[in-house]
Amino acid sequence: MAHLLPYAESTAPPLPPPRSINASPKSALLVESDESLLSFLRRSLEDEAYAVRIAANSEEGLRLYRDCGPFNVVLIDYCVRPSDGVGIDYLAPLQKHGIGLATAIRQIHPSQGIIIAALAYRNAAEVPRPRELMHIPLLIDISNFQLRGLLEKIEVDRAIEALTSAELLRLRQFAAFHVRGLGRAARGRTGEDLLQEALMRTLIGAEDVQKGRHWNKDVAFTWHLIGAMQSISNHWKRQFKDMEPYLISEFPVRDAEGQEHSPLDNVASGHAAADQRLIEKDEEDRVLTIFKDDPEATQMLQDFLDGLKKNEIKSRYGLDERKYAATVKRIRMKLRGRRNGGGQGEKHDR
Amino acid sequence: MIDKKTHDERLERLMNPLAESVLGISDEAVLTETSEAGADPEQEAEHTRLVLRQASKALDNVTERLSNLRHTINSNRWHRGHWGYHNTCVTCGSFVSFTTATGEMRGDALDGLCPESDQFTIRRREASR
Repeated sequence: MAHLLPYAESTAPPLPPPRSINASPKSALLVESDESLLSFLRRSLEDEAYAVRIAANSEEGLRLYRDCGPFNVVLIDYCVRPSDGVGIDYLAPLQKHGIGLATAIRQIHPSQGIIIAALAYRNAAEVPRPRELMHIPLLIDISNFQLRGLLEKIEVDRAIEALTSAELLRLRQFAAFHVRGLGRAARGRTGEDLLQEALMRTLIGAEDVQKGRHWNKDVAFTWHLIGAMQSISNHWKRQFKDMEPYLISEFPVRDAEGQEHSPLDNVASGHAAADQRLIEKDEEDRVLTIFKDDPEATQMLQDFLDGLKKNEIKSRYGLDERKYAATVKRIRMKLRGRRNGGGQGEKHDR
Repeated sequence: MIDKKTHDERLERLMNPLAESVLGISDEAVLTETSEAGADPEQEAEHTRLVLRQASKALDNVTERLSNLRHTINSNRWHRGHWGYHNTCVTCGSFVSFTTATGEMRGDALDGLCPESDQFTIRRREASR
């Protein structure tokens, strides 16, 4: 009898790359005895561009997994039958064969993404399963959108675990600088908030920025998150501007001679926009002050402010790539952790 | 003209090239840079992974809670609102929302079992075996 290994989601080693079973980049193992459900689930997986291997019982499923695994996803019916109708020795008496198979697969690859189709149950709480499989995704509703959501979730969770340290650090720094560039429009959000928002919009997987952002699997996950963060920060900025009160002075009128003037030319204007400008000017000045003893860095920052691109800056000053990169690195290093000119150390507030 | 640009645009111009510059450096350089800044690259990377996992977990938690209350949620119908993400049960129409930062959930869908769920339960039980 095989022993159950403790399963800890957060500490499981990353799954090795799935073995390709044909031209499709995504592979799935479907273990289902019921022919009509098999046909439906197979079609659903194929619609999501999975190349599907089929097993009609739990023993065949385990054999296929040992021969061809790991897969991007394994979908197992909770009530799948054993090959000869006799219990398999790795199953506890009251466990269904689907749970036994899932346990055996997790013993081979602890981080294998598995979905259990428990369609006889009304909700996750009712599905009997061992503690180590308590967080396994359950397909309770036959509707296609639940399966699609679970598949996307497994892909995204796999991608998170597969991110290298360098990729994670890049994402972190990119998010931190982007949020800083938002100024007051960040409304107290941090780079971590931006990163979480990008992930959430990926998980909900809709098509537009208001709802979500579908991850096209042809794009590396890091680049997808970078694109999502850019789009979200632009959205935050637009949203902030829309919420800002307009000053009447921002609506110039023309007099009888066609001269443009503001109706409030002779009246003190409101303070909101002025405050905003002051705060952002203050942040800009603070950044420049940090580099007051570094003329090269100051010049480069001025060039950034003037909207010059990397190649324009390099050619203007005859900088080679190494020298340009060294100056930018110096700026990044000094600004790291100096949020709004405050104390050192990034905000780890979760 | 640059003079007419507002300060928020200037701040963006200042920070965005720095954000993009991170994307062009090698893996080794990004790890070294973190060390040189006095941080532990592995620790900082794993903290970032945890931030991503937390967002994913927040969605798991709300999904599981709603499933236990027999609500049916279309996972593609989450919308971003002023207070987190919100959705409605496709069977009873009750409302739910949650935030990724704290994982806090709100809404009448959390008040009790989905009142419309029984008819679907019978269908599912019959269909499954």
